[in-house]
Amino acid sequence: MTTAPKRILMAKTGLDGHWRGPTIVARALRDAGFEVIMVGMVTADEVVRAAIDEDVDLVGLNIGGHVDVAERAIAAIREARPELPIFCGGVVPPWAKKRLEEKGVEVYPPGSQLPEIVDAARRLTRWQAD
Amino acid sequence: MNFSGLKGNYFLLFVNKSFLASRRPATPVSARPIPQVHGRMNHDSRPRRWNTVSGIPLKSFYSAEDVPAEHRRIMDAAPGAAPFHRGAYATGYRTKAWRIFQLSGFGKPEDENERIKFLLANGETGFLMEHDRNTADHCYNVDHPDVLARREDVGLTGAVMQSVRDIAICMDGLPIESTYGHAGGAVVQHAPFALAGYWTVAKRRGLDLRTLAGTGQSDFFLTYLGCVTKQQIPTPAGLRFNADIMEFCSKHLPRWVPVSIAGYNGADSGLNAFQELGALFANAVEYLDEIKRRGSMSLEEAARGCGGVSFRMSMDIIEEACKLRAARLMWTQLLERRYGITNPKVANLRIHCVTAGSMMTWQQPLNNIVRGTLMALAGVLGGVQSLGVSGYDEALSIPSEHAHQMSVRIQQVLQNETNLAAVTDPLGGSYYVETLTAQLVERAWQFFDEIEQQGGFLATLDSGWLHARAAENQHAEFMAQDSGERVVVGVTDFREDISPYEVDGFMGVDDAFDVAIARLEEVRRTRGERRAGDALRELERVCRGSDNIMPAMMEALDAEVTLGEVGDVWRGVFGDWNTPIQT
Amino acid sequence: MSSAAPLQELFDRGRRGERGALARLLSVAEAGGAQAAQLDALCAAAAAPRARSIGITGAPGAGKSTLTAALLGVARNADQRAAVLAIDPSSPLTGGAILGDRVRMHQAAVDEGVFIRSMASRGQQGGLAQAASLGVRVLEACGWPWILLETVGIGQVEVEISGRADLVVVVLNPGWGDEIQANKAGLMEVADIFVINKADREGVAQTRRDIEGAIAARPGGQQIPVIETIATRGEGVPELWQAIVERHAALDASGELAVRRRARIAAELESAALSALRGRLAAAMAAEEGVRLRERIASGDCGIHEGVATLLGNIVRD
Repeated sequence: MTTAPKRILMAKTGLDGHWRGPTIVARALRDAGFEVIMVGMVTADEVVRAAIDEDVDLVGLNIGGHVDVAERAIAAIREARPELPIFCGGVVPPWAKKRLEEKGVEVYPPGSQLPEIVDAARRLTRWQAD
Repeated sequence: MNFSGLKGNYFLLFVNKSFLASRRPATPVSARPIPQVHGRMNHDSRPRRWNTVSGIPLKSFYSAEDVPAEHRRIMDAAPGAAPFHRGAYATGYRTKAWRIFQLSGFGKPEDENERIKFLLANGETGFLMEHDRNTADHCYNVDHPDVLARREDVGLTGAVMQSVRDIAICMDGLPIESTYGHAGGAVVQHAPFALAGYWTVAKRRGLDLRTLAGTGQSDFFLTYLGCVTKQQIPTPAGLRFNADIMEFCSKHLPRWVPVSIAGYNGADSGLNAFQELGALFANAVEYLDEIKRRGSMSLEEAARGCGGVSFRMSMDIIEEACKLRAARLMWTQLLERRYGITNPKVANLRIHCVTAGSMMTWQQPLNNIVRGTLMALAGVLGGVQSLGVSGYDEALSIPSEHAHQMSVRIQQVLQNETNLAAVTDPLGGSYYVETLTAQLVERAWQFFDEIEQQGGFLATLDSGWLHARAAENQHAEFMAQDSGERVVVGVTDFREDISPYEVDGFMGVDDAFDVAIARLEEVRRTRGERRAGDALRELERVCRGSDNIMPAMMEALDAEVTLGEVGDVWRGVFGDWNTPIQT
Repeated sequence: MSSAAPLQELFDRGRRGERGALARLLSVAEAGGAQAAQLDALCAAAAAPRARSIGITGAPGAGKSTLTAALLGVARNADQRAAVLAIDPSSPLTGGAILGDRVRMHQAAVDEGVFIRSMASRGQQGGLAQAASLGVRVLEACGWPWILLETVGIGQVEVEISGRADLVVVVLNPGWGDEIQANKAGLMEVADIFVINKADREGVAQTRRDIEGAIAARPGGQQIPVIETIATRGEGVPELWQAIVERHAALDASGELAVRRRARIAAELESAALSALRGRLAAAMAAEEGVRLRERIASGDCGIHEGVATLLGNIVRD
């Protein structure tokens, strides 16, 4: 394989320590050949720092609480690296999902199947030039 | 539809919305396409392995010969008598219905107070006072940078209670003398604060603590397995806390269940039925061995204190009911074989169950009412003493008023309309149930032995072994969904949803953070600073030594010390648990 | 990751302190190939002041990440800027990886004086050490005075990577006598400092004796510090930092550092050359001439030794 693996940052916007969901997604992405950089529970500033320093190709946010918190992180990432794609998962009510989708962020609520998420990761990182 | 601006009567709004505003336009029948079952059409053509969820192979029917001989010998014991697998009490639900006991809490303490009163008025018979997890889990005040950065989340997962004043507001007018209350404090480093706070409020009300009934949690499964925080006191310090709480209760609150070992979070992280059983009893052994080592109270009393445990109820109805029968059997065996305890008032394990939140789907949430009912049924068939049913909107948010009410109604239907209360252990004697109970016990003891071989429950948490077992199962579960082996209605298959009712979830209130900040400042400004300072210093001194921390905690809460200050003591004295997993 | 900006421009921006540019340069280093070679040349030409590089290694579970995080804290208190390269294994099957070292370094999460980069092994045995070495040079070129190279495990590759640092810290836990006996990949020989982390557990004294026994035969073995730490409480970490600073200064003053660097260059050169040769050999074998050569050997027209000479000639020629 001559192309370098794509790098995905996985971060949690809430202060909720449940790890099962992000871990399962991280493993599925690893098994699909991605490098998954896990940063745990981070603020907007922290996720931006990691997105820059790790030169990632995609950011995955796990939302455990209010969508406003996630939106702050999204806005900060977009300011620092406007071209960087972002997708989310986690417990969000339908109205919050719509709000995020209107902002161009794909949302994968509980019950989303792993192949769907992996396909999304492939698609979102495909147009990053090598 | 965004509820976040509303502070009033959510229930009426939901009713109005569901029947009027959010009825989706109906598609004429002729215009609808034939629903495609996504992917997997013909289930019958796949070769199918028939197992319980935990992997125990199942025969297509059972007969007398299937029941293992050893189990047959004890099969016909009566409920309320050793080995108790048939039930903790002889007369079962005829004399004492299971407690309807819902996890509840959000917003300012007064919001939580209101929701608890709502639930009590609607028929719950015990209440659970959940503290806001953003502050409680880490013992931070709301002005901590990590909390400030997530201010909208404050008050979402429980009410913000930073001092005894907040706890008093939350408990205002609650019938704590006559109703069984759970004081909060699910996370181990938070438990002393929650308990001391609750008890201090009770004392201030003039109640004799010796008569106060209720329960704490202080749950290793949640704290160190299911919900790994950024910072937590290390497991040995957690063990010390829990043993201190047990000792304190034996001296001052004999009717209080000091800690509740809750397998729920082990199960919801991925441990299967027999792993949940084995690990739960390994946890109990840590408590009992520690008390034994201290020699500070009678082991029987300690066992009685540990004897109120919690299990998860999930969708394999029969296996889950058998799990509770197995649990009671194992507790009797454990006490007798390891500690020489046979007192029937100690050996009868009392069980609280919570239905699996992770089984609630985001898609077609009204289906979750069915799921909640089935999982509750499993608990009833298994003989629970108290039961909490997850809200049907669990995968979307914290429970709305209606979802909460529905959780209570489900249990009321079971209690009043089904005649299930008439007979204890209705499944007893079934060849299948007795065989499966015995098989669960066998596998659970094997898992327990594996844990003991590694140095015990704490060692398997510290090393991450238990997390690895949980993660393995989760991975297998997702592979099963992917391959079509596991069907989840509305998620993997049968995805068409024509429900006219939009379920919006519930996002708490808007002002929890602002009010909390103001109250924090007020406490700091108006409390007796000398007394608070002295209390904190004393707390630190006790923590560095080996005395029981609870008397110092009681003084600290009464002196109006804040949550963050207590957390700072923990961090200064005990350091941080070395998490074995990356989260 | 975009290589649209010419490498020189990216390099200049990195040298000026732009973190985004530095991050992309590190990606170039990781990817290897022609661009990495070009980057290597730029680093050499820049002749930046030498950074002090510290390898931190040890078996999984020793608490290296937590220790590294604690060291960062001490370094920052001493007003030192520090970068971390945290290297984790890739899955040999899928080529993917889960890199989780950052999680433990959340205190450093927005500190301008810290740069953390997670690197996966990408299944390239020799190439990983190369990528790590180049990564160190890039960080050096961009002005980072301290570089911590954290690797998981104590296999051949990890030891080789640690060997690319000026000074190696080996992290053990109490009760790891067996690990010490096994002396995998010669870990006991490469260590400049030993750390017994989780020193609140039982068996510290015995482990100390085991270490001392294992290094007794080494020249200068008596001088090797064995430091006890409890990384989760920060205990012993200031002492460790002090030992690192002092050992590094001593190595520098005695000229040992320069000797090591030359040896390292030799090792790196050999490793890179072997890597390149392997590639060319594979290409030569697969080429038309290589296939025909094999047929000739098979049919007895040509002996193996003659075949080797021809093949090597082809490689040099091409």
